[in-house]
Amino acid sequence: MRSARLSPYLFIAPFFAVFAAFGVYPLLYALQLSLTRWRGAGEAHWVGLGNYLYLLTSPDFWASLGNSAVMWLLIVPVQVVAGLGAAVLLANAKLRLRGLFRVAFIAPFVTPLVAMAQVWIVVFDQDYGLVNHVLGLFGLPAVGWLTSTVWAKPTLALLFLWKTTGFAIIILLAGLQAVPGGVYEAASIDGASRWRQFWSLTVPLVRRSTAFLVVVQTLAVFQMFAEPFVVTDGGPYGSTTTAGLYLYDHITASDLGTGAANSFLLVLLVFGLSLGAVRLLRPKDGAS
Amino acid sequence: MRHTRPNAAHYVVLAVLAVAFLYPIWWAISSSFKPAADIIADPLALGGPTLDNYRAMFADVPIGTGFANTALVLAVKGAMTMIFCPLAGHAFAKYTFPGKNALFGVVLLTLMLPTLVLIIPLLLEMSALGWVNTYQALILPGSVDAFSIFWMRQVIAAIPDELIDAGRVDGASELGVFTRVVLPVIRPGLAALAVLTTMNVYNDFVWPVVAVNDTAHQTLQVVLSTLAQNVTGNRVGADFATVWGELLAAGSIAMLPLLVIFVLLQRHFISGILAGSVKG
Repeated sequence: MRSARLSPYLFIAPFFAVFAAFGVYPLLYALQLSLTRWRGAGEAHWVGLGNYLYLLTSPDFWASLGNSAVMWLLIVPVQVVAGLGAAVLLANAKLRLRGLFRVAFIAPFVTPLVAMAQVWIVVFDQDYGLVNHVLGLFGLPAVGWLTSTVWAKPTLALLFLWKTTGFAIIILLAGLQAVPGGVYEAASIDGASRWRQFWSLTVPLVRRSTAFLVVVQTLAVFQMFAEPFVVTDGGPYGSTTTAGLYLYDHITASDLGTGAANSFLLVLLVFGLSLGAVRLLRPKDGAS
Repeated sequence: MRHTRPNAAHYVVLAVLAVAFLYPIWWAISSSFKPAADIIADPLALGGPTLDNYRAMFADVPIGTGFANTALVLAVKGAMTMIFCPLAGHAFAKYTFPGKNALFGVVLLTLMLPTLVLIIPLLLEMSALGWVNTYQALILPGSVDAFSIFWMRQVIAAIPDELIDAGRVDGASELGVFTRVVLPVIRPGLAALAVLTTMNVYNDFVWPVVAVNDTAHQTLQVVLSTLAQNVTGNRVGADFATVWGELLAAGSIAMLPLLVIFVLLQRHFISGILAGSVKG
């Protein structure tokens, strides 16, 4: 039975080979890199925690985190509320055309982000875009959706919401459908109103899928890259330079030591936020 | 769920949402067939249909190369995922071996590793290997991913042990048990894995844009993004409308394959999306 003892190791070997070569090695390398000053060529100088201190005292670094935090506020709460609302409507057993609605909601999730980012450039253009054209038909003034520091973030947030809310709906719908129907019948007999049923029954029961959604989207929002990279290039005036795009800027500037340090700070932050979200949304009875 | 009959307001809300989700896709595709000047002059109207935007785009942008490169990456990376991830999932689901829990712990840990942290050191690794602007740089990193292994482990764990033991009794080798007993049973799971992997590889952008900067190796998404940058850089150019037309043509043609797969195989898409949520 020698082969039976060896075979599980052989079966998992490809993963560990790839992980060692393109996961562990670069990770350790990044750790070392983050402690040096290196411009992609020439000698690397040991700077200890210098890169970390530089970032932690750099207004640009905090501005990028601030931009991502605002994005998070514009996206995650809106998506959870809208997603739950749509999921509750879709979960109704007597709803007709459910399949059709579901296809419509998920279609954006399937489209390539870069392609849709281009569509956003065209649709939200200040001078010739579709949105300002429609506003004009109602006699409303044109808005600098992508050129004003006020509107650029919400316009990018809208792209993110448009693209991923269908995903949120599917996740939350699955959570809802795991709720046994009998619970609601009992509540109706007890005379609980629809709103009361929603808040005291539905919400606690979808906590698990909501927690999952919040964690996944928090990770995604703080790594957001393609949207600002393609649509606004971080502008206007850096207002859409998200944490992910700021990280990329270190690559373009060949400031790789700082970039590596920035990666680790971002990972710590994202881990912290995810843990916080899981804790806040964990069911009270402790069963997760 | 409640069995109250949905009223008209339910349908109105859902229909409005559906239109909001579908309209940008419809607008992009329908506008790509309009004469370029009309896209700007009257964005709401339907026009044409003309293939001028597509002709101009094909002449201007190496989109064919982009499609070919994406297809190549998809074929190799997809094959690696489809072979090695179920295999590893099988080992974690149906074997006991020393170190199993610790090794599976490593798989779970890498699930939480954000892609961004690896971008810079991976890029340096690629340049040390001389792999910048190569297919192996696009294919190998992330080719046997933790999430797919985790998912396949869940799927294979649901197979009764008796079935696997029966295969062994019949004299199948360890690999034979996997290919002749396990794989046929998990076919729906494999289909969902294939569909989700296709979507992820096809739409992948961050790593390809960093790892490749020559036209010969650019994937479709990278080709698209260079076109968008031409537009943002070209604002005062005389051919503003033409560039928009090309942009919409390129975007539409890039969306098409996945939208078609999605409409045909939506059940697999949805179970693929849901597979992620059970890990919470």
